[in-house]
Amino acid sequence: MNKRLTRKWLPAVAVLGLGVSLVACGSSKSDTASDASTTDTAAATADTMASTTDTAAPDATAVGSTSWDTNFTPWKDGKPVNCKPATGPLKAAWIYVGPINDGGWTQAHHEGLKAVQAKFGDQVVTTYKENIPEGPQVLTTIDQLVKDGNTVIFGTSFGFQDAFVTAAGKYPNVCFEFETGFKSAANLSQAYGAGEDGDYLAGMAAGAASKTGKVGYLAPFAIPEVIRGVNAFTLGVRNINPAATVQVVWTGTWFDPAKERQAAESLISAGVDAISSAQDSPAAGEAAKAKSIPWVGYDSDQNANFPEVWLTATTYHWGVYEVPRIQQVLDGTWVAGDYYGGLDDGFVKMATFGKLVSADTQAKILAKQAELAANSGSQFTGPIKAQDGTEKIAAGASASYGDLMGMNYLVEGVLGDLPKS
Amino acid sequence: MKSPLRLERRLTQPKKLNWLVPLISIAAALALGAIVLLLTGKNPLSAYHRILETAFTSKSSFSGTLVSATPLAFTGLCAALTFRAGIINIGGEGQFFMGAVGATLAGLALSGQPTAIIILSMVVMGALFGGLYAVIAGVLKAKFNTNEIITTLMLNYLAGIFLNYLIFGSTSYWRDPQSMGFPTGKQLQPRAFWPSLHIVGFTVPLGFLLATILGMLLWFLYARTRFGYEVNVIADAPSAARYAGMRTRWKIISVMAIAGAVAGFGGASDVGDFRHVLDAKGLQLAGYGYTGIVVAALARYNPVSAVTVAILMGGLTNAGYALQGPNFPSGLVGTLQGLILFTAVAGEVLTRYRIRTQKSGALSEVAA
Repeated sequence: MNKRLTRKWLPAVAVLGLGVSLVACGSSKSDTASDASTTDTAAATADTMASTTDTAAPDATAVGSTSWDTNFTPWKDGKPVNCKPATGPLKAAWIYVGPINDGGWTQAHHEGLKAVQAKFGDQVVTTYKENIPEGPQVLTTIDQLVKDGNTVIFGTSFGFQDAFVTAAGKYPNVCFEFETGFKSAANLSQAYGAGEDGDYLAGMAAGAASKTGKVGYLAPFAIPEVIRGVNAFTLGVRNINPAATVQVVWTGTWFDPAKERQAAESLISAGVDAISSAQDSPAAGEAAKAKSIPWVGYDSDQNANFPEVWLTATTYHWGVYEVPRIQQVLDGTWVAGDYYGGLDDGFVKMATFGKLVSADTQAKILAKQAELAANSGSQFTGPIKAQDGTEKIAAGASASYGDLMGMNYLVEGVLGDLPKS
Repeated sequence: MKSPLRLERRLTQPKKLNWLVPLISIAAALALGAIVLLLTGKNPLSAYHRILETAFTSKSSFSGTLVSATPLAFTGLCAALTFRAGIINIGGEGQFFMGAVGATLAGLALSGQPTAIIILSMVVMGALFGGLYAVIAGVLKAKFNTNEIITTLMLNYLAGIFLNYLIFGSTSYWRDPQSMGFPTGKQLQPRAFWPSLHIVGFTVPLGFLLATILGMLLWFLYARTRFGYEVNVIADAPSAARYAGMRTRWKIISVMAIAGAVAGFGGASDVGDFRHVLDAKGLQLAGYGYTGIVVAALARYNPVSAVTVAILMGGLTNAGYALQGPNFPSGLVGTLQGLILFTAVAGEVLTRYRIRTQKSGALSEVAA
């Protein structure tokens, strides 16, 4: 019995064994030097990141009035990179993880491309690649774009980051702009913005719209950036209704319309009467519309498509950053660095208010908006308590930039757990 | 009412069909594609020229094609092995994920060892994880006659959730404790990176070379050994196999183990050759396991052809990314790719069946 068994299995074992021995041969013969050693050059740049909350002028900052560069800090020892072609127009390319009409993240970036093209006309030729999966294809795509003559390349998905770091080393005369991540290089910038300010304002709209004080929230991943948004939103909800709660569902995806809609439906059937989705698609709006539940979207103004249920949304305006950056490339003054836009320079904007937001609520939101534009992150002024009641930020103290960037707890009023760590 | 056209199985397959049908398929795809391109106001010749150039004819492009082809060669082999054995294993995706998990574990744990030892261990662990994962569905099918389409598909979702757990849902050994913002996996040390080979100006990933060798070995296993013979008999005539005393259940489990190990090997290559990290999100977006099924079908479940088809598929993928842009929507790229695959599969039917028309009871042949 045993003997027979071994015989039947022998071919399988033999094949595996052969394969394994071949691996050993192959690797010992071949060149072990790797052409993509990226980890060393990609220094994590927490210390060089700009702290915009401190530098923003506290007095009388009108929304969208300051210049983008108040929110930009070059890397330490940053030097201008000349990535303008000697002849012909500048070629700039955007690489997207999703489709250009996703009604959210990718679409917002594509608006940036359009703003650049509209501003510079014949001086700049823009192109883009959409639906690029995270993985080996990113580098292949960059190679092709560089071969086609592009010298400014924007990457718009976190998962592209390592490929961009590798490419930045491989092509020192190409300017790389990354939206959003955290690694730096002499020719690799990082850009993002204070979405948490918009999220707080959106939370106020949801807090006012909910009659029962039960609000739902679709969150993609339990990472600081998203947790910050959940917390800011909850603080905003409780600014209007101190007894309200926010029920969080972690969807585990940035963009998956079917899953987003399903999650929204489950929240609605659990009894929430206002809902917010920090997802890239407006699918939660469909679920909200079906049940006539007021809805806060994310990263695109869906007022026209969902007039019955629309409240507002945090939106990002990449053109605010990208247009002057392209100008710098043309001027030969482009330096890599970190940008953290806000309500002050117009990078973060509130979408239009839906008809469900009363004039009274709008006035409250606009007043708070002016406050946050002048002092980004001030919604996290203490006392801030975590879910279990422990004090995270003492009364009167404000959150540091590090507190915000590394936020790993949910505030009081949020229902739902963080994955244990 | 009867349809005037019907398919009839060929009793003999003329040899010339083996090259004639693929040729006609490609010509038909190009012609159909040209119509679509003309209708949308594009120049078909320049589009086709760009596809060729960005997929195959320039050295650097072809190297990129091999990068895209590598994971597909492994998952294509995995699917080909099981489908040839009459097992509908949709689970190459999950087996690939598990292989990546096992290989990353080995790569991280042995980071102090010589490169050859790291690579060897990554392959062994990848194959082991992928193989064992496939055996779950294999045992269920062999012992309880569970439908493997359902179990392998469900196991794919489970493997995806497991990846998410390792990177997003826990502080596992695979997760980088330093990752700021978005959780990512721990990077392998550069010495654990699989080297690329430089052959006459082409950059060939080590994984691709290994997949090619593996393809030949598996062809040998299926075409020239008793094991392969029995698998073929079991697939084509299960009752005859049982009557002849062949151990059907063990064969099912072994085939699943081998196929899973091949997919797991692919996962190891993906980590070692390209990602150098357990990329929970990127792996799930890629869908290598599912594309592998298409590769296997186009290769008619022949292991050697599967590697060749993987190259074509990798080229088509890369050309697609190169082609799209402001003047060439990605939907149009998808349409072209779909047309080529569709005609290829449709053409493949014609090698096994012939079309007959039915006119007033008389049958007349229309297609060779």
